[in-house]
Amino acid sequence: MIYLLILPAFIMLVLSFWSVQKSRFVLPLTSLLILFPAIKLFFLPKPYSIWGTYLVADDLSAYVMLVSSIVAIGVTLAMSTLGLHVEIKDRVYARFYRFFALFWIGLTLSIISNNMGIYWIGLETATLSTVYMIKTNSSLMARKEAWNYMIVGAIAISLILFGIILIYTSFKPLLGEEAMNFSALLKSAKEIKSPFLFEIGFSITTLGMFIKMGFFPMNLWLANIERASFYPVAALFSGVLESAVIIGFFRFSKIAQLVNPLHLFIFVFIYTILTIFIVSFLIYRSKDFMRLFSLSGVEHMALIALFWASGGVFAALLHFGAHAFLKPALFLSTGILESKGKYKIAGALRGYSGVKGKVFYFLTALFLLAIISVPPSPMFFSELYGFGAMVDIAKKHQHLLLMIGAIMLLLVFLSIIFYKFTEIYQSMKYEGVEQKRVVYGNEVLALVLFAFSLLALLTPWSFEFLRSIS
Amino acid sequence: MTSFLIGLFLATLITALFTMRLYRLILWYSLNSLSLALLAITIGFHIGDNSMIVSGFFTLLLKAIFIPYILKRISLRFSLSRQIEPNIPVYYSIMLIPALLVFTFYLAEPITNMLSSNANYVAISISSLFLSLLLMIEHKNIAPKIIGFLSIENSLFLLGTIATNGMPMLIELGIFFDLLMAIVVINLLFKQEEEVKE
Repeated sequence: MIYLLILPAFIMLVLSFWSVQKSRFVLPLTSLLILFPAIKLFFLPKPYSIWGTYLVADDLSAYVMLVSSIVAIGVTLAMSTLGLHVEIKDRVYARFYRFFALFWIGLTLSIISNNMGIYWIGLETATLSTVYMIKTNSSLMARKEAWNYMIVGAIAISLILFGIILIYTSFKPLLGEEAMNFSALLKSAKEIKSPFLFEIGFSITTLGMFIKMGFFPMNLWLANIERASFYPVAALFSGVLESAVIIGFFRFSKIAQLVNPLHLFIFVFIYTILTIFIVSFLIYRSKDFMRLFSLSGVEHMALIALFWASGGVFAALLHFGAHAFLKPALFLSTGILESKGKYKIAGALRGYSGVKGKVFYFLTALFLLAIISVPPSPMFFSELYGFGAMVDIAKKHQHLLLMIGAIMLLLVFLSIIFYKFTEIYQSMKYEGVEQKRVVYGNEVLALVLFAFSLLALLTPWSFEFLRSIS
Repeated sequence: MTSFLIGLFLATLITALFTMRLYRLILWYSLNSLSLALLAITIGFHIGDNSMIVSGFFTLLLKAIFIPYILKRISLRFSLSRQIEPNIPVYYSIMLIPALLVFTFYLAEPITNMLSSNANYVAISISSLFLSLLLMIEHKNIAPKIIGFLSIENSLFLLGTIATNGMPMLIELGIFFDLLMAIVVINLLFKQEEEVKE
C-alpha cells in the first residue's frame, strides 16, 4: 500500500526532470493518480497496518487523505492554466511539480503516521518543499516571504519536535521505545507517571502547530505568504498543508484528553478565542481577496481546533472537510477575480459570459456565501454541532453561563466576518465597471470538483461516516 | 567527560552569539556540532547504545564537517556578506545571555524535578534552544539566521540525547534527512536570488 500511495509522487518527481515541453501535459495527469490509492485506503478495513506499527491507517487518516487528494487534484488542474493568468517560465513550472512530489511524500507520511517522529519528519519534508513553491513567483515580495516562511516554519517545526521529545520523555519509563507510537500512548495515557511533563510537551507541540496555522500571536505571516505566492500554491497551503498540521493536533489532543480533559479544553479555548478575536478585526481591515481568504482560513482552523477540544469530533471533521474544499476553491478563483494580479474588489463578479463564465460566476458566488456559513453550507451545520458540543462540555463542568457568554462573544466576532464578506460580495456584484473576463475549462473543472465534494459532505452517508470516527 | 562536552557545547553557542564574521560563525557552529557528536558517542559507549554511537558519527560527518563545508561554499558562490553585525549590541548581549541562562534554569525547574538523571543537562539543552533562537533574532542577514536554525536543531538533538537517552534510530535518520533537504532548499533559494539578479 505504501508503494501505491507514494508511487504517483515518484513518477511526478522523475517526470519533472524530463523535457519541460513534453512533461507539461503529462504532469497534471500524473497527479490524478494520487486519488486511487486514497480511495482504496478509504474502503479498507481499519485500523490497517501499512508498515508495521509506524504507518497505520485509521478512519481519521483515511478521511484526511481522501480530502487532501481531491484538493491536490483540483490545485493541479488549476495549475495547468496558471501561465495564462501570470508570467511563469516553463522551468519554474517543472520545479513546482518536483517540489509538489516531495511535498506529497511528506504529507502522506504525516497523515498516515502512527509514530510521533515519523509525523514530524513528514511535516518537516512538506514544509521545506513548500518553501520553494513560494518562490515559483519571482516577485521581490515572494522572495522575501520564502525566506520568512523558512524561518518561521523552522521555529514552528522546532517547537513541535521539542514538544515531541518531552512527550516521549514523559512516556518512556512506561513504554520504552514504544512511547513514540500514538496508539501505544493512547492506551497508556491514564497510567502516565508524570502528566505535567506530558502537558508541557503537549502545549509546546500545540504552540508550534498553532504558529504553523497562523494562530495568535503569529496571525499575519501566513496571509503575507499566501498573498506573495501564486494562487495554486496558496490553495495548496490552505487546503492541504494545514490538513497535515491539524491531523497532528487531533492525534496529540486525543492523548491530552485522556490525561486531563479540562486542561486541554481551557488551553485550546483561550488560544482559539484570542485568535478569532484578532483575526475578525484583521479580516474587517483586509483589502484584497487573498488576505481575506487566508485570514478567514485561520478563523476556520481555530474553530476546528475549538470544536475538537470540546469533544465535538463530528463538528470538527465536518468543518475541516468543508474548509479544505471551500478555501482552495476560493483561492483558485482569485486567479480570475484578480485580473492579472491586480485586485479590484468592486465589480469582480461581473463580466462573465458563455457557459464557462456563468458556471464560474455561479460557483464562486456560492462558495463565498458558503464560507460565511449561509445554510445549507456544511459550515452552517458544523458550527451548529460545534457550539452544541461546547454547551455539552460546559454542562459537565458546571460552567454553562460562562460558556453561553463565550459563545455569544464568538458570534459577535463571527458576525464581523459575516458583515465583511457580505459587503465584499455586494461590492463584487453590484459596484465597479463591468470588464470582460476569460475563464478556462480546467479552472471550471476544478471548481466543479470542489462543489461536488462539498455536496458529498452533506449526504447522510458522509454524516454517518464522520460520526463513526471517535 | 559528559559535563565537559556539554559545557563546550554551550560555550561554542555563546561565542557564536558574539561573532561578527560569517566564517567564524560557521566555525563555531562546526565546533558546536563536534561537541554534540562527541557527547552522543561518549554517552552511547557509556550506556552501551549502538544506535546512539551511530547517530553520533552521523552528526560528526554531517553537522561538524559536511554542512559547514557546504555553508562556506554557498557563501563564496553567492558572495554573501561576511560582516554580520548583530542587531543587539555586544554590551547588551553580555547581560542578556546570562539572564537567559538563569531564567531557563528557573523555567525548566518543574521539568528537571521530574527527571531522575541528567536534570541540569536538560536545563542546559533548553537554554541552548533559547540562545539559538536569539541567534536567529539578533541578525538581519540571512546566513546567521540559517546557522541559528541549524543550532536549534543541535539543541533539540542534545535534548533528545540527554532527556531520553536517545530517540529511536529511524527517527534520528529521518531528522538527518530533513536537515540535508533543508540545505538543498537553502541552496536553491540562494541560486534563484542570483538568477533574479542576473
